Amino acid sequence: MSISAPVNRRSNLKIAAGAVVCEESILKGDITIGARTVIHPKASIVAEAGPIIIGEGNIIEEMATIVNRLPPNIVDSATPALQIIGNYNVFEADCTCEASKVGDNNILENKAFVTRDVELTNGCVIGAACSLIEPEIVPENTIVFGSQCHRREMNDKPYPQIGQLEYLMRVLPSYHHLRKANIKVKSDPAT
Amino acid sequence: MAYLFQPDYVRYVCSCGSLKPISKMYFCRHCLKIRCGYCVCHEADSHYCPNCMENLPSAEVRLKKNKCSNCFDCPCCFQTLCTRAGQAPLRPPASSADAKQDVKATPKKVYYLSCSLCRWTSRDAGIPDQYVATGGWPEQENPNSTRISTLIDFHKVLASKEKQEQQRKKFPTKRTFLQYEKFGLTSAMVRKRAGKPLEPKSLIQHSDQPAPAVANEEVDDLPAGIFTEAVDITKITTLEQRLQHPDVQAEKINELRPQHKQFLVKRSQRCRGCEHNVSKPEYSPQSIKFKIQLAAFYHVPEIRIVTCEPLRVGVASELLLKICNPTQHQTQISLLPLDTPTTPTTVTASGEEQELKRENIQMGSESPNLLPLAVRQISVTEDPKPITVVSGAEIALPECPLFLPPRDDAAEYDETNDASHFQDDKKVVVWRKGNKIVVRLHVTPFANEQNKGEPVIVGFVLRHGYVNTLATLEHKAPQKSELNVQLFLTLGNLVGTA
Ligand SMILES: [Zn+2]
Ligand SMILES: [Zn+2]
Ligand SMILES: [Zn+2]
Ligand SMILES: [Zn+2]
Repeated sequence: MSISAPVNRRSNLKIAAGAVVCEESILKGDITIGARTVIHPKASIVAEAGPIIIGEGNIIEEMATIVNRLPPNIVDSATPALQIIGNYNVFEADCTCEASKVGDNNILENKAFVTRDVELTNGCVIGAACSLIEPEIVPENTIVFGSQCHRREMNDKPYPQIGQLEYLMRVLPSYHHLRKANIKVKSDPAT
Repeated sequence: MAYLFQPDYVRYVCSCGSLKPISKMYFCRHCLKIRCGYCVCHEADSHYCPNCMENLPSAEVRLKKNKCSNCFDCPCCFQTLCTRAGQAPLRPPASSADAKQDVKATPKKVYYLSCSLCRWTSRDAGIPDQYVATGGWPEQENPNSTRISTLIDFHKVLASKEKQEQQRKKFPTKRTFLQYEKFGLTSAMVRKRAGKPLEPKSLIQHSDQPAPAVANEEVDDLPAGIFTEAVDITKITTLEQRLQHPDVQAEKINELRPQHKQFLVKRSQRCRGCEHNVSKPEYSPQSIKFKIQLAAFYHVPEIRIVTCEPLRVGVASELLLKICNPTQHQTQISLLPLDTPTTPTTVTASGEEQELKRENIQMGSESPNLLPLAVRQISVTEDPKPITVVSGAEIALPECPLFLPPRDDAAEYDETNDASHFQDDKKVVVWRKGNKIVVRLHVTPFANEQNKGEPVIVGFVLRHGYVNTLATLEHKAPQKSELNVQLFLTLGNLVGTA
């Protein structure tokens, strides 16, 4: 895990077949991207402290940032920290996610910020420009909204954005160069 | 109105004594006075819903309690709710298997209300989905509605009684006391003199009187677990959410119900002195235009601070001001000391200067208020508030008058320099283009122990010529007058002493 090995890092990029990863996206470090995940141009994913594993059906919009950041004051960690993103999450434009673990069906709206000590479970919505900066495990179906970062438990989790996902998978390849998939995964028929 | 040069460094003194930036002021063309939101009469012209733009007559608005029947606000974050269409819920109530079968058989379109900001939906509140897109939402009953309607009815009775009595007073029937009235005594005074009580008040029938409210010391006990159970803040309403709906004040999030959207009003504003409108919007809620908009911005020269040198006590600093003439007429401007009287003057036909009073202002009709007397707001004449601003510097004002040409939008694009047309004192007027000039002044802050740390403020009187064009409508020559307005400029903090 030395920093001076860009070539090596590049080869650590694993893209599953069926994922749409635009060439102009910024991907650094050991990253695994699951099938049916869409990564827009200029989205950045930086595996700084350890590998990032992204599941299936996620939408990562432009300027969205997913960082596996080193803890403060530590330059190089001996034990790499793993950052896991589940399935069907949406990272809207210009949000920043440093959370160590993100479950399924979460939405980070525009300019939302989640720090590394937070764990997002399932069906959470971090509203536009809301920040989570204290360590916590966000309970399922929580919505954080408004300038005061009010919280509420939603009755229902947000629906997975299947329609949007299918549209993007159809449209993006016609206008952007894509990164090639390099691993073949057997898709779990349940999802 | 948001304005380019906020915060308010240049403040004008209104006729009522308030200090406001020019963008928040009106100028009454009829009595030639500056007016602001504090010294005009406000009248609600029309009520409308800001969401669906429905426009209702005021009687109907009162009936609907100033709320739109079709649009709703989110009870959680107070944004407007939108109607969403969806299939019947993915998970129908598991209680009856038959219902499930039905939904499967006919996938009906259902509608629910949803908030795009906080994702609150009418499903959260357990409100059943509707099969029509508009209306049909269950109304929440006010728990005190019977009591309120009893009180309202009682007050209606009181009002009608009072009206009857007033009418009876107009035609006095007590002839015994009528004879005294020719001596200048009213019947009430005579009664007082005779030691009799004033006219007996007509007794309100007891049956009309609603039961008075009962004070009660007994309150429900706190729930048993209040000190032991952990509080889940995500399930409890905030104070704002409760106060947004004062008749119910739900304590739990799932008790919140969508709220009908409040109507907004379009209002016109009238000058308090002469009752002419200074602002009247177009009636239609879709229109953002005005029928009348006498903003001071279009009539009174605008002053902006260009630069001000760092301020030191006892040292003259250069202050550059930009003055702009917004009117269609050439105007002459003088800057005078703050203690100059601000009464407007005019030049009479014989050529002598005289004070401009109500009588000699060329006005249109006397009172343009068409509303019946009973409805319209009575104009209140109040003495202007005293100005509490303390001037923190000596300002050297130019003695010569300054000329400003009329506004010409085409001149904005004219590259030729027309400064040569005016014999300006180059020491005072440092720049000139179109209807704008920049003048150089000098301010000398004085040591002021009281206002230490406060920004330095200077004040002066701006005298400007004003052409009253209202008269031209009546085929008279436009009246020229000189108006004075006090101004206060906030220049910034002292940087030290000399
Ligand atoms: Zn005023
Ligand atoms: Zn409406
Ligand atoms: Zn809301
Ligand atoms: Zn007036």
